[in-house]
Amino acid sequence: MEKNQILAEVQEIFREVLDNEEIVLNDATTADDVEEWDSLTHIQLIVAIEKHFKIKFTSKEILSWQNVGEMIDCIARK
Amino acid sequence: MVFNSLSFLLFFTVVFLIYWFPLKNTTKGQNIFLLLASYFFYGYADWRMLPLLIIATLIFFYLGKAISGAKTEKQGYWLTFAGVALGVGTLLYFKYFNFFIESFASLFNAIGLQTNLHTFNIIMPLGISFFTFRLLSYIIDIYRGKAEPTNDIIAFGAYVAFFPCLLSGPIDRPAFVKQLQAKREFNYEQAIDGCRQILWGLFKKVVVADNCATYVDKVWGDIGGQTGSTLVLAAVLYLFQIYADFSGYSDMAIGVGKLIGFKIADNFKFPLFALNIADYWRRWHITLTQWLTDYVFMPLNIKFRDWGNWGMILSIVITFVLIGMWHGANWTFALFGLYHGLLYIPLILSGAFFKKTKLKTNKLGLPVAKDFGRMILTFVLVVIGLILFRADSVGQTLEYVSSICDFSILKGPWLINRLYYIPQFIFIAIMMIAEWQQRTKEHGLVLDQIPSKILRYCIYGILVILLIWVGGHAETFIYFQF
Repeated sequence: MEKNQILAEVQEIFREVLDNEEIVLNDATTADDVEEWDSLTHIQLIVAIEKHFKIKFTSKEILSWQNVGEMIDCIARK
Repeated sequence: MVFNSLSFLLFFTVVFLIYWFPLKNTTKGQNIFLLLASYFFYGYADWRMLPLLIIATLIFFYLGKAISGAKTEKQGYWLTFAGVALGVGTLLYFKYFNFFIESFASLFNAIGLQTNLHTFNIIMPLGISFFTFRLLSYIIDIYRGKAEPTNDIIAFGAYVAFFPCLLSGPIDRPAFVKQLQAKREFNYEQAIDGCRQILWGLFKKVVVADNCATYVDKVWGDIGGQTGSTLVLAAVLYLFQIYADFSGYSDMAIGVGKLIGFKIADNFKFPLFALNIADYWRRWHITLTQWLTDYVFMPLNIKFRDWGNWGMILSIVITFVLIGMWHGANWTFALFGLYHGLLYIPLILSGAFFKKTKLKTNKLGLPVAKDFGRMILTFVLVVIGLILFRADSVGQTLEYVSSICDFSILKGPWLINRLYYIPQFIFIAIMMIAEWQQRTKEHGLVLDQIPSKILRYCIYGILVILLIWVGGHAETFIYFQF
């Protein structure tokens, strides 16, 4: 799957889980840029992404992402 | 050497002058000096523990390099695992060894087995919980790819032993090493703000906390002889005491940091105005809760993520029991953590946990009735938890609570001397009103909304007079023992 396509789908998941239609993601977006994205909602996002793409991340992968781009790369590799 | 002592004033004056005058243009020189000053500061408290700090610093410095240079993922994992085991093991040995022996002995005795277990005379190094956490976050962040190992052993050593934060936090993260490597310029505004923050911290510690301590200690010294209302008053005063003590200490540490050109992490964000327990822990001892969130709660929550809310509850309860136990080797601390963990359950199940809490105020600038009610409820829940925290044993907690639930609660509380206590309540009121006004600011004495310079200086002057009038003896800090 194209990374742009993944980014669009991840953005949709973010909007749904965080209940904010105005969220716009790019590769450089971090938790500091999205008000509702914190350590708690992070887990809800991961569960929703895993369910959507039918994949499973490892703990180390989840804990090593610095921004959305690294998360997208990880999804693309799966 | 406590911040509110003449010996610290002398020590810091010498550090400040050497740091900013002969060493002004050499960052390396400043760092070497900071490291030596920090080791002197630590050694002054107990020189016997200095080798442990130095050896631990060296081991984790090279471990960081080894983890970064690991040839395989597995090798990196095992090196990190060894580092965490070493750090946690050291902490367990110095802080909890006797506790576990005593607990096992009483467990065996309870089931009828005679044991011959002996406890050892172990001296707990001051600040061990704080510098171990700094060391652990360094290697874990390198393993997670969130930090690079440093080649600068002096800056690393100064990060671990940084004297303003060594004995009682705040617990800065490895990014602090970058601040140590950057050139520092003396910034007049920052230094003056540092002085204001130190003054506010001193007021909270010397004027509010130490005076609350007089009453609280007397009551706790004779629980059985007190009326229920006295015990309630002492429990409430203990929250003011511990808040003023620890947040006062943190303000002083951050202020001292500013005077030598550093931005130390915030540790308190006006927690007494929290609207629920989750909000309280986002504002209380922030660097500890954030540390445990990143290195304990998050990995657990990721592991249990498929269990929904109950996975999160389990992760929170485990994290809070550890937060409790971090304070010391006593079942009261474990129960204190468990109590707070359990208080999260209704918040998680109702969904309130995931919503950002925003305080609403009315035209007078006071909290609206609903939010005020939530604040009081949170305050009461925290006061109840602190009875466990303050008690020497679970039995003493039960004695305290059962003595509150007595008809004597209807009698007025005991006051040592009415005239003595009126100022005490005024000091608490000053602290609370000032912090309420300043709740969006960094600390209680950012007075930029007062245009009159004379008025601002009058306020500083009054605080200094109060310090001299009420203080006069350097009491130690509650959090030094942790």
